[in-house]
Amino acid sequence: MSEDLTLRLQTYLAGKLGARDLAVTGLARIHGGASRETYRFRAAYNGRERALILRRDPPASLIETERAAEFRAYQAFHKLGLPVPEPIALELDGAALERPFFIMEEVQNCSVASIMAPDPYRAHREKIGEQFFTVLGKIAAADPRALGVEDFEGAREPAQAALHEVVRWEKVIDEDEREPQPIARAAIRWLKRNPPPPAQKISVVHGDYRTGNFLFDAEGNIRAILDWEMTHLGDPLEDLGWALDPLWSHGDPAHPAGTLERETALAVWEKASGLKIDRAALGWWEIFASLKGAAIWISAAREYSDGRNIDAVNAFSGWFCLAFHNKVLADKLGALA
Amino acid sequence: MKPEVDQILNTCAMQLIGAIAPLLPASYSQSSASLLGFMMMFCAQEYDRAADIRAAENADMRALFADIAGAVNDAALRTKLEAAAKAEDASLKISALDAANHGLRKLLIEAQTHIETLGARDAEKKIWSVLRAAADRRVLKMPGS
Repeated sequence: MSEDLTLRLQTYLAGKLGARDLAVTGLARIHGGASRETYRFRAAYNGRERALILRRDPPASLIETERAAEFRAYQAFHKLGLPVPEPIALELDGAALERPFFIMEEVQNCSVASIMAPDPYRAHREKIGEQFFTVLGKIAAADPRALGVEDFEGAREPAQAALHEVVRWEKVIDEDEREPQPIARAAIRWLKRNPPPPAQKISVVHGDYRTGNFLFDAEGNIRAILDWEMTHLGDPLEDLGWALDPLWSHGDPAHPAGTLERETALAVWEKASGLKIDRAALGWWEIFASLKGAAIWISAAREYSDGRNIDAVNAFSGWFCLAFHNKVLADKLGALA
Repeated sequence: MKPEVDQILNTCAMQLIGAIAPLLPASYSQSSASLLGFMMMFCAQEYDRAADIRAAENADMRALFADIAGAVNDAALRTKLEAAAKAEDASLKISALDAANHGLRKLLIEAQTHIETLGARDAEKKIWSVLRAAADRRVLKMPGS
């Protein structure tokens, strides 16, 4: 399979880049999220060698995501100067490699944090936290129209942003739950009964902005924000709520993303975004984040249980992560009852 | 004396993570094997507690239904709650406990949705107390924590 994929990739890229002597070497699968198969490889052509990443749709996907939007988000934010890999090619029909795929540059000599690691950033935690929340603020500050992504899926009106997302993830639970989920259902009803104020603006939402979804180097520089597969338009507080979620805190919710103290992180985000955080609205989006997490993990459990995608990460998500978010939601909503 | 299932799973997991995964050639295979090891450790946790947490959750929901049925003003729902409250788990097989659990959860969702429309705060708090206890029981400890 790997040899076959190497040859197919080589043939495709030779045509795409107009380099008949192009050679693909070192194709190897790496972990890169459960919604895409991710491979690294080298492409040698015209006297140079490039380190590249292939992101291909799996036979079954954890969540139905819009690959064109993901690719365009890489384009838009790479162009804007944020730490995002350069996208190279997108193929939606998938004829060349059996399934839709895209190719981007590989940002090398970097690490990615495991969410299971207790303190992945160590001496660089504050430096990384400052960058992490600054970049997120810059994403919030960017104008979707100026980026050319105003047609992304999502809410168009600030007053619709919250309900749009609740309905979206409720639908995922409706379709994928294998057993009744009383905590998630109660959360959905609470979120609908207690909507936040309209978004301050409609922004690009990364959709999965968290520890573990960026690359950092040995000096503590964030070099690449990855996994834009759930990008859409919406309330910028949505990404902030997700980034603050305790599942991504490396066991210390007082230091979201395992980095800065919470209040410091919020101040960094406000400065970079130019927006003022409505604390009550953020609280709503944090509860929403745990509900969205639960929906994704329910979907993962379904994929695994039905045998469509038996990657162990789906078993982990559908069991450990769902239990985690059920507890977060039960504690928060139980305290509000 | 024989090795218990949780011991076997934990020991196999440690061998997989510590001795086998590092010998695999590609990083994807290595990390997949390590994650498989973690899953085996979770299975070891679940082995000892699986029947207990399900039986306790089912008992809690039945007691709750008996407690809140009086606050329900929908006669059909009240009848369902009273009937469910009287049932018992006849088998401690996980599949049987899960089947009962799923039926009880479905009824809990119906009852909670109804209670929320009544503004019956005391009953709402009781429901959340049961849900919080259930969520607490099902949390998995990260290996090594």
